[in-house]
Amino acid sequence: MTLEEIKQLVQVVIESGVAELEVTRGENRVRIRRTARSAAQEMVLPPAAAMPPAASAPNPSPAPHAEAAAAAPAADESLSYVKSPIVGTFYEAPAPDAPPFVRVGERVTPGQVLCIIESMKLMNEIEAEIAGTIVARLVENGSPVEYGEALFAIRPD
Amino acid sequence: MDQFTILRLDCVGSTMVEAQDKPPGTVIVAEEQTAGQGRMGRSWYSPRGAGLYCSIVLEPAQPAPVLTLALGLATKEAIERTASIGCDLRWPNDVLIAERKVAGVLVQLQEDKVIAGIGINVNHARFPAELASLATSLRLVTGVEYSRELLLANLLDSVECYCELLESEGSAVILRLFAQASSYVSGRRVLVDEVAGVTDGLDPSGFLWIRADNGRRLLVRAGNVRPR
Repeated sequence: MTLEEIKQLVQVVIESGVAELEVTRGENRVRIRRTARSAAQEMVLPPAAAMPPAASAPNPSPAPHAEAAAAAPAADESLSYVKSPIVGTFYEAPAPDAPPFVRVGERVTPGQVLCIIESMKLMNEIEAEIAGTIVARLVENGSPVEYGEALFAIRPD
Repeated sequence: MDQFTILRLDCVGSTMVEAQDKPPGTVIVAEEQTAGQGRMGRSWYSPRGAGLYCSIVLEPAQPAPVLTLALGLATKEAIERTASIGCDLRWPNDVLIAERKVAGVLVQLQEDKVIAGIGINVNHARFPAELASLATSLRLVTGVEYSRELLLANLLDSVECYCELLESEGSAVILRLFAQASSYVSGRRVLVDEVAGVTDGLDPSGFLWIRADNGRRLLVRAGNVRPR
């Protein structure tokens, strides 16, 4: 994998809003992970606000970045997506100092907890429904998620 | 839910864990918790015999986040009926007396089931130094000890009542009751994690609006709301 290719992948991650991406090509493997947001991470702007999202906003970008999105896992139909059943805040770990439930590249089995979505202290543990490998985490830790928003992409076994 | 089945245990790690595989209507009550749970991996101080530590398994028609506001209201009402003292609610469901936390509510959603963990500081005579300025108990406020049995009975009554109200009337009535019961819903200077601002009402889902000091209006879905 050339430096140019890695740069392109980084660009894909930035433009698509994917939080973490792992690509394996032959013996080369590269994992790109966006750093966590700070401060107002549990806040969201009202949907009606006309302000554009901040540069670090984790929402998978719609139309304007269609080209980049097409290159990201979000467009891969062979993948299965884990979606949020509620509006809330995404947490990758049970506590701030605990390791994440799963990491990109890990194999998961049905019933395995992948993350927590919190909505006003209603804690919703999201479980894998199928066996497979996590190929992308699509939202950043501590960021807001919408109903039905894709959280993880899993490549089924 | 017509009736609750109360399962009394002595010392447990957490009533939330004991309630995991129990059917709706089950109430787990423990004398002591060695690993009482709070939000995001925090602990709930649960010394033997001093507090009411329970988890209630519910099966609401529509498990919505507004349920956590209803459970806060139910806990506040149960305390007020038992001890005849007024409480405040800090969004989403901390129960306060004179700005100190007297009860906490944590809710876990499991498919169609909801496990509500409710901890109430009843007869604590003191708290560890790190909690002393944040927490209080009914006894510390009034100087009187209370029956945890009576408090539990009142709590289950209130929980049933507010759950029925939510199901029959919908979330709007819960939001109105919460706004009346909580000094934190509007016009309150707060710090939410690292963002400072003034509370500005609830949205239709029960999320808290904040007018941040930087001029933005923000919607809080989860986070620590603290006075400042």
